[in-house]
Amino acid sequence: MKFFFHIGRYFVMLKKVFARPEKYRMYIRQLFHEIENLGLNSIGIVVIISVFIGGIMVIQFAYNMANPLYPSELVGLGTRDTLLLEFSSTMLALIMAGKIGSNITSEIGTMRVTEQIDSLEIMGVNSASYIILPKIVAVVFIFPFLYILSVFFGLVGGLFTGILSDVVTMKDYIDGIQFLFIPYYVMFSIIKTLVFGFLVASVPAYFGYYVQGGALEVGKASTRAVVNTNILILFFDLILTRLLLA
Amino acid sequence: MIEVKNLYKSFDGNNMVLKNVSAVFEKGKTNLIIGKSGSGKTVLLKSILGIYDVDEGEIWYNDRNFLLADDKERKKLRQEIGMVFQGGALFDSITVADNIRFPLEMFTNMTAKEKSHRVQSCLERVNIERQAFKLFPNEISGGMQKRVSIARAIALNPKYLFCDEPNSGLDPETATVIDNLIHAITKEFEITTIINTHDMNSVIEIGESILFISKGEQEWTGTKHEVLNSGNQKLDDFIFANKLYSKMKK
Ligand SMILES: Nc1ncnc2c1ncn2[C@@H]1O[C@H](COP(=O)(O)OP(=O)(O)OP(=O)(O)O)[C@@H](O)[C@H]1O
Ligand SMILES: [Mg+2]
Repeated sequence: MKFFFHIGRYFVMLKKVFARPEKYRMYIRQLFHEIENLGLNSIGIVVIISVFIGGIMVIQFAYNMANPLYPSELVGLGTRDTLLLEFSSTMLALIMAGKIGSNITSEIGTMRVTEQIDSLEIMGVNSASYIILPKIVAVVFIFPFLYILSVFFGLVGGLFTGILSDVVTMKDYIDGIQFLFIPYYVMFSIIKTLVFGFLVASVPAYFGYYVQGGALEVGKASTRAVVNTNILILFFDLILTRLLLA
Repeated sequence: MIEVKNLYKSFDGNNMVLKNVSAVFEKGKTNLIIGKSGSGKTVLLKSILGIYDVDEGEIWYNDRNFLLADDKERKKLRQEIGMVFQGGALFDSITVADNIRFPLEMFTNMTAKEKSHRVQSCLERVNIERQAFKLFPNEISGGMQKRVSIARAIALNPKYLFCDEPNSGLDPETATVIDNLIHAITKEFEITTIINTHDMNSVIEIGESILFISKGEQEWTGTKHEVLNSGNQKLDDFIFANKLYSKMKK
């Protein structure tokens, strides 16, 4: 029953979030602030993780396909498709839920327990909309870029690792990542990143917005927010993959 | 003037926090709500402000019935309200000056210059020095935070000012400064001010009208001149818990 209560309250919150902004200029300013805060500050970690994962995947594919019957282009192809389809969308969203999500919950939760949200409400500001809307828009906006960045750096990481560890030649790898390329995979994944971006911003925002208590509860809410966001990401991954790919 | 009539408020249906509270808070006066910790002062204040929905009763802001007002009317009314929270509730991601500028940017069409002017005059009114304008709330002391909070509350020239324990956690001297500041502002702009406190100094200093609540029930109303000789047992227990006031009475 608790579950339905949360679902209901989540949608009540969203209704408040998507009300018409009071003053567009203030929202635009918040939006740019959030894009910087949540997006630009995530580029570093996305690049690092993608390079390593790309490298690891190349080694694994090479190891699993160390059979003279398989064409060696398969290493590049496998790495590419894994990045395109799952890693750079789903896995990255899971990682971002940890980074961005916990940030959002603790920021909003702290505003709640220190009465800053009440303070906005008393001024006559729609607090849900003012605080949460710019975060959702910012995260949904940046996620596709992070996805593209991740695919790119994953492939680069794979290339360097492949050459340095001598498991694949540059030519085979480059041929591989161009072989049997299906543009729809990119399309499909970008749709997923938009959905995941919405989840990564709105679910933690929900947990922060309705925190009750003090600093301890804010910490607990952050943990709960990340866990629930992760579950929802995987759930929607399943649904979207079934709907759009199969 | 704010008037509440037969207010009832419970949480989760059973925990009755306010029981039949009726009171008039007059314009141009510092109206105090006093009572022990947990007696329901904050809940009463937040109910009057509409942060909590009450179970029963009426709340009037002059001739406007707050509980019957729609969202638009409430919003308009709220721009006439300033609030100083128990913890200050300053926006901690922006500077002191931007905290005051925020309501101006949200609700007025002032030019940048007018806004800077207003920010400066509000902060000067509460004796915040210029060097502190650029600091963040966590870089200034608790007493300064309270004063900045007052400055923010008066930025839009409110008709109604609510203060939840404005001087708790402050030294007696600073506490008196804050009390006098709120009192002076109330007189200066003819504001209807409601202050929650359990500080007896404030009661004696600025208690022009006092509502004493105990366990959510209104127990006594009067002024600072009457408060020491009320003849009300619960009020006496509250006041004379501090020996100093027993001596003062004698
Ligand atoms: N959100 C809430 N949910 C449930 N009960 C609450 C809530 N807020 C307050 N209460 C209860 O209402 C009662 C009155 O609380 P309130 O905060 O009004 O006290 P107070 O008079 O302001 O005390 P203090 O002087 O310590 O600030 C307390 O028993 C408290 O447990
Ligand atoms: Mg209180």
